[in-house]
Amino acid sequence: MAQGHAVKRYTGLLDWLTTVDHKKIGILYLLAGGLFFLIGGFEAILIRIQLMDPDNTYFVGATFNALTTMHGTTMIFFAAMPIIFGFMNAIVPLQIGARDVAYPFVNALGFWLFFFGGLLMNLSWILNYFGATGVPDAGWTGYAPLSSAHSESIGGVDFYVLGLQVAGIGTLIGGINFLVTIINMRAPGMSYMRMPLFTWASFITSALILFAFPAITVGLVLLMFDRLFDANFFDVVDGGNPVIWEHIFWIFGHPEVYILILPGFGIISEIVSVFSRKVLFGYSTMVFATILIGFLGFMVWVHHMFTVGLGFTANALFAIATMLIAIPTGVKIFNWLFTMWGGQISFTTANLFATGFIPTFVMGGVTGVLLAVPSADFQFHDSYFVVAHFHYVIVGGLVLGFFAGLYYWWPKLFGTMLNETLGKIQFWTFFIGFHLTFFVQHFLGLLGMPRRVFTYEKGVGMELGNYISTLGAFLMGISTLILIYNIVVTTIKNKRVGADPWDGRTLEWAISSPAPEYNFAQTPLVRGLDALWHEKTADDGDGKMKPAEPLGEIHMPSPSWLPIAMSFGLFVSGFGFMYRHYEIAIIGIVITLVCMFLRSVYDDHGFHISVEEVCETEGIEVPKSKAEEAHS
Amino acid sequence: MSAPHSNEAVNGRLETATLEGRNKVLGFWLFLGGETVLFGCLFATFLALRNQVNDGPGGMDLFEFNIVAWATFLLLTSSMTSVMAIVEMHRGNVQMMRLWFIVTVLLGAGFLGLEIYEFIHYLNLGLGFTVSAFSSAFYTLVGFHGAHVAFGILWIALLVIQSYKKGLTTVTAPKFYVAALYWHFVDLVWVFIFTIVYLMGRVG
Amino acid sequence: MAGNKAGSTRNYWLTFAVSIALTVITFYIVAKLDTSGNFLIPFMIVLAIAQALFQLIFWMHMNEKGHLMPIIGIATGAFVALTAVIMALYWVW
Repeated sequence: MAQGHAVKRYTGLLDWLTTVDHKKIGILYLLAGGLFFLIGGFEAILIRIQLMDPDNTYFVGATFNALTTMHGTTMIFFAAMPIIFGFMNAIVPLQIGARDVAYPFVNALGFWLFFFGGLLMNLSWILNYFGATGVPDAGWTGYAPLSSAHSESIGGVDFYVLGLQVAGIGTLIGGINFLVTIINMRAPGMSYMRMPLFTWASFITSALILFAFPAITVGLVLLMFDRLFDANFFDVVDGGNPVIWEHIFWIFGHPEVYILILPGFGIISEIVSVFSRKVLFGYSTMVFATILIGFLGFMVWVHHMFTVGLGFTANALFAIATMLIAIPTGVKIFNWLFTMWGGQISFTTANLFATGFIPTFVMGGVTGVLLAVPSADFQFHDSYFVVAHFHYVIVGGLVLGFFAGLYYWWPKLFGTMLNETLGKIQFWTFFIGFHLTFFVQHFLGLLGMPRRVFTYEKGVGMELGNYISTLGAFLMGISTLILIYNIVVTTIKNKRVGADPWDGRTLEWAISSPAPEYNFAQTPLVRGLDALWHEKTADDGDGKMKPAEPLGEIHMPSPSWLPIAMSFGLFVSGFGFMYRHYEIAIIGIVITLVCMFLRSVYDDHGFHISVEEVCETEGIEVPKSKAEEAHS
Repeated sequence: MSAPHSNEAVNGRLETATLEGRNKVLGFWLFLGGETVLFGCLFATFLALRNQVNDGPGGMDLFEFNIVAWATFLLLTSSMTSVMAIVEMHRGNVQMMRLWFIVTVLLGAGFLGLEIYEFIHYLNLGLGFTVSAFSSAFYTLVGFHGAHVAFGILWIALLVIQSYKKGLTTVTAPKFYVAALYWHFVDLVWVFIFTIVYLMGRVG
Repeated sequence: MAGNKAGSTRNYWLTFAVSIALTVITFYIVAKLDTSGNFLIPFMIVLAIAQALFQLIFWMHMNEKGHLMPIIGIATGAFVALTAVIMALYWVW
């Protein structure tokens, strides 16, 4: 074997900027996603402050519109999506026994595209004072013609269009990366029906990304052409039709909400099983339900458009398809409950979040079925009832899932354990704050309070509900601060934990915490569902994974500057389009193309980690045969 | 499926001889699945707006079927020549593979030239991009396809140049293979463009 | 399924001939025959799909082994694209 080509291995900040290691990229995703989560959360608090009392005047008109738009867009595209990718990166390769993802380079590229896209959009708050006129304010759904009017002024919805376009490309290639990783790179014995549920959820989510994101790409291109080049897609006067935007947006948008929630389901499935010390109840129905939810996700988009007036046939068809989704989702709920039934449950923070998730998500699901009835939807549409519904599924579902996953996998990511007492305080403040905020919003909606409106009148019975709602939002804010405090304290104390602090069941707990650069010194041989648990409990098991290969040199991909440079090119070109300086837009695209050229022409041979280095990291002796080989 | 380190090639082919190669081919297929949705949405937009000609000219008034027929023939033939390049690649014949790819690139360039000529012709006849919803949708759909052709020409040309230095290895073979897949896909989209945009525009 | 190499090459040329023939038929009926769109449009779409299938199966090697995932990928993409087209035809007013 060639003894490795000389590859520069960076340290410190340069290492993080050039890394192609999926575990580091996972941490980058979590960090950047966490940052945008704080920004989006801050915007939410501002919205609630404005709505705390009737006739407030802190944020009115366009400012309030900008706050709701940026809150929604930031939370969905720049907080939830990257945090999902963060967990997928950090965990999926470990769960399937792989050394790496299928395309380490593309993985890094996906991160940097997302990051620059999010930066581009959020810079609108600052550039607002430097020649641009406004922050995106047409809602996270960006409905035409509100969003599409051609104008000479710079900024506004342009930030939304270009930021999402850049980030969307990153998400798409990230999805392809995980599909190929899961299809091609599973360890020997890791058949599809032995994959942990989080890996299954990541697989289906990636498939949804692959088939849903091209739709929003087209929608954003049309919107961009309308705004920048005076095209007529959504301009009724010249024959265009805004309904097309609504359709294309929701053909993407509905699968998108399942892209968000499925990984949450996956995380909950892992945690409920581990902390009940039982195998997941109904594994195969769980897998089937996940696939079915993914499939149905493409057939229900019109339920966002019942009030458009598409006719009885369309509305009835999509109402029935929507209600069908309750069946596989119900299967999942009952499977979690039956997993806990009779188990030796320990309520760690992770399991508290997972257990809190179940009833909360059920409530969001029930209002979802109510909204699926078109005649009822005509009453609920665009009211706070809808706001309550989707926050119950996204915050009550996804965000609780994230927190659960964060406490559960923190040891694997960083080798330390988040403080459990602080964690439980965080859970209760968040859980109570969440229900205070959103439960009353159901009733505010039924009273007729419209969403996206910056105030309400005195004396129509909305004061108390809104006041409670704002108090709840403050409580969730406090909860987030407790989490940050917990992270800081844990990092400073730096108390190391072992490889398997929870007595885990799946492969990621078979290797040290944090995982070494190459993940598995020897590719493991998987002999059953819950691979590590099988080795812990089988007659011929000793609690350690059996290797599927002898110790050997491990080939690794080289770090690269190209992903960040390529993404920076599109970032520059985004600003070129925004400020109507097309020469700058072209320069940006040329930067990206040159990087693609370099990537094609110069092959990456990577480098090898020697057997000695692997043995040193693992704390084992170098096998004799290998030591002799090295000397000869 | 297969172990990460097995070097078992599917069908004994060079492009799938390594895990990296298999990853590349599979990932590219999935990417083409996504591209299908992309073009599907562009077709949908065109279909919804194809009769919204406003005061501008419509397809019936404009389309030059001779040009479209010749462009179709060029692109179809180029797709065939790229198959032959892959046949030669499987035989291990780099020279012949290169030759077929060069023919592919030339035919693709001919197609692109005809399309540019056609667009300029329509512009002169008054079908500007901003004239009507039909014109916006027409140029966006056909232009997206044209941009794909242009990118494919540059890509395959770059690979042909690389082939002089690098030859045919387990690293380069997957690149040639996926470039050929891309080219077939671009041709496949054109089948639907000439049917739905041009010929359906004539039938009404 | 792959067959010997000469056999595949013959299939490639066969696909080329079929593609040319289908294209010529489509152009011919549109140019010469005076049939109503109600019949002609579905017929043309069928010919286009037939041509696409030929090219996918032979030129893009879908008939060879190890192509299950590509088939699933393209089929799912085509399904989603079809929903978008149905949307455009029936649910845009």
